[in-house]
Amino acid sequence: MQTRRGFLKWTAAAGGALAVGPHALGQAAEPVSMAIARSTASPQEAEAIQAMAIKLTTQAIDALGGMKRFVKSGDAVWVKPNMAWDRTPELAANTNPDVIATLIKLCFEAGAGKVKVGDFPCHEAKLAYKSSGIADAAEKAGAQVVFLDESRFREMNVGGKILKNWPVYPEIVEADLVINAPLVKTHSIAKMTLCMKNYMGVANDRQKWHQNLPDCLCDITKFMKPRLCVVDAIRILTANGPTGGNLADVKRLDTIAAGTDIVALDAFGATLLGFKPEEISSVVAGQAAGLGTMDYLSLNPKELTVA
Amino acid sequence: MTYQSRVKAVRWIRRASQAGFLVFFLWTLVAARHPESGEPSALLGAFFLFDPLVMITTALAAHALPLSLLFACVTLVVTLLLGRVFCGWVCPLGTINTMVSALRKPPANVLVSTERWTPWHRTKYYILAALLVMALFGSHAIGYLDPFSILYRGTATAVLPGAQYAVEEGATAIYHADPHAGPLHVTSVTEPVYRFLRQQVFIDSRQSFEGSTLIAAIFAAIVLLNLVRKRFWCRYLCPLGALLGMFARRPLIRLVKNAEDCRQCGLCKTNCQGAADPDKPEEWQPSECMLCMNCAARCNWGASTFEFHPPWKKQEVAPLDLSRRMLLGSGIAGVGTLLAFRLTPEAQGRVFNPGLIRPPGARAERDFLERCVQCGLCMKACPTNALNPTFLEAGLEGIWTPRLVPMLGYCEYECTVCGQVCPTEAIVPLPVEEKKTTKIGLASFDVTRCLPYAYGRECMICEEHCPLPKKAIYFVETTVQVRDGATRVVKQPHVDPNLCIGCGICENKCVFKDNAAVRVSSANESRHPKNQPILPMDERAPAPAPADTNAASDPYGSG
Repeated sequence: MQTRRGFLKWTAAAGGALAVGPHALGQAAEPVSMAIARSTASPQEAEAIQAMAIKLTTQAIDALGGMKRFVKSGDAVWVKPNMAWDRTPELAANTNPDVIATLIKLCFEAGAGKVKVGDFPCHEAKLAYKSSGIADAAEKAGAQVVFLDESRFREMNVGGKILKNWPVYPEIVEADLVINAPLVKTHSIAKMTLCMKNYMGVANDRQKWHQNLPDCLCDITKFMKPRLCVVDAIRILTANGPTGGNLADVKRLDTIAAGTDIVALDAFGATLLGFKPEEISSVVAGQAAGLGTMDYLSLNPKELTVA
Repeated sequence: MTYQSRVKAVRWIRRASQAGFLVFFLWTLVAARHPESGEPSALLGAFFLFDPLVMITTALAAHALPLSLLFACVTLVVTLLLGRVFCGWVCPLGTINTMVSALRKPPANVLVSTERWTPWHRTKYYILAALLVMALFGSHAIGYLDPFSILYRGTATAVLPGAQYAVEEGATAIYHADPHAGPLHVTSVTEPVYRFLRQQVFIDSRQSFEGSTLIAAIFAAIVLLNLVRKRFWCRYLCPLGALLGMFARRPLIRLVKNAEDCRQCGLCKTNCQGAADPDKPEEWQPSECMLCMNCAARCNWGASTFEFHPPWKKQEVAPLDLSRRMLLGSGIAGVGTLLAFRLTPEAQGRVFNPGLIRPPGARAERDFLERCVQCGLCMKACPTNALNPTFLEAGLEGIWTPRLVPMLGYCEYECTVCGQVCPTEAIVPLPVEEKKTTKIGLASFDVTRCLPYAYGRECMICEEHCPLPKKAIYFVETTVQVRDGATRVVKQPHVDPNLCIGCGICENKCVFKDNAAVRVSSANESRHPKNQPILPMDERAPAPAPADTNAASDPYGSG
């Protein structure tokens, strides 16, 4: 019932937008809400992979209208990678460090006053930050690398179905923009971990969420009000996720997707792992909760090929 | 330059040396941590390597002499030539004792009665005798009384974590209250200081250790005893001081008393750190003299001087007069203590304590105890606070030795820092690849608590965190009955005993914080073949056919 109602609402809104749309507002076109950048080449050398990551990320954001669409001059931005594990980038357990560094650079170019990078890792933070390569890359790009401090979480009114009051990290919530930038990985219970699940890193005491992951993820996503999500699919983890640790489970897709609809991006990510979006319970729940659409093709994503 | 001004200069050099070694000690304490890259400095264990008491007792108990411990011979040779300079110029516990002793300011008449040699000085020699006899019979009990063990243990597991607690709680309280006057926030000062201390000095996440209150109490007692007698520990109790005292009976530099100039004011005596009776040459105890130079520096008439004494020149010094009866008694007490330690079934290796999960690389238990000096450096360096001091898990012989407490922390898969900082190789420094396959225990599920078993709910924290490339925790999809006959399909976790290395991250991350639903015990540990119940076997293979083909007809069999 809910799904259908959600769908109807969505079609109504989309239809309305189409009807009123660009002409009535006298604008050139609707802003692009999703972009997928794919590389034609799959380089093997570290430097070439890095160059590719920078290009893919930049073009995907450009296709959305550039970082200026999301960042106002002087804004404080929090880039939230998936940086949970003491694993090197090759093992595809954490977001690609060059993707994060590029996002930071784009934020500064758009006039951001401060860019912070941080996660609340599962492994020891110091080790995960270091092994992932993200701390070094982010620092080099001029961002402030923040270690989340357990004593600084604050109980906040998440106001969700399951999560009522929950300890969330104030510094992240207070940022003007949070860029949700995870990578595509399998997950032994959720089947997949991506953007919605990446928000687990802003909360403490989250391990019990697994008992009802779809609802908890909807609650925290609603609370975090996503505006920009970037999906790193340069390397994806196809088995033994989310921790990984085996090179054989890593697959190169050389793809970056970016967009404003978190459910659509999660749905797209699911297809990269060979799932149908409706097989992922958090995607289904996300659409039902009105957080976005799992029919990502309906958003008419802008597809780019990058040489 | 008069003799007195020269000796005063030497005294300042002595103080500078003490300060330098104290700073060096503090550096080793802070630097004992998981390094950003490479290995921790080899200098971390320097005090133990130069500690002849550790060398001799390890050689006796373990019948082994790690080459690195031969540095201790340097200390012995220096002591033989110069006396107990190690106590007076180097030992950081001695320095702390000296500083606290300075707070004791009794009236002069009390000083005269307390600052003199007494037979109680012999206590430390009897303690040494007992420890050496115990070592001879294979028990390495010096960790309880070695000054560096006491110092590192006290500071690493009690003082530093106490400071961390105070700093973090204080800074957090200020952070939340955010006191400010206009745009001036107190946090603009406290937060940078807090972050610096948290990242550079302390280990985050916060360290706190089981049973550290007792360790703190003992450490505090040793420090506060300086208010009863100057350098109480060094004078009466320190077994290392006693050992060095034995080597300091005929030093090349000796106190010489110029009787004509002496006004018998007693300043030399009341300022002596070791109560070595420097006022009368025939009563001077070179084995109690720590070469602090106070006697010569404080003498207003130049009556006390230190002079080169050629070894061939005979000069009597006051005898130590250790009682043979007391020495025999100490030896017997040592043997008795040893026997008492070994009375329990665990100490005799008949059973294994499930909670005694030793760090990876730890030697087999007896061998381990013959080397561990309970200094706590491994616990200090452990990045997850997993290593904690034992209380009675390793028997009376192994109090304050390291054990993994998975509820508090887990063994980080890529980390081998505990073995790298261990000064005595009780924990062998393993290459990372070898560490990753070294089993320290085995996880098992408590199905009356584990959510997918007990409540038919989904959970996967343990499986998610299992760090092995091929996870040791796997799921079996099972239909379970829940309330009123309803059924659910859930993934129930199981342990592959061939793969599990017992790192404890499953227990550490389990949603149950009082008593985890998956718990690690010492079973399967690589170091004890007898504690390995599991025969290696492919978990996917069908069960082997029963050996007894008549099993079916067995009336007590399947029913």
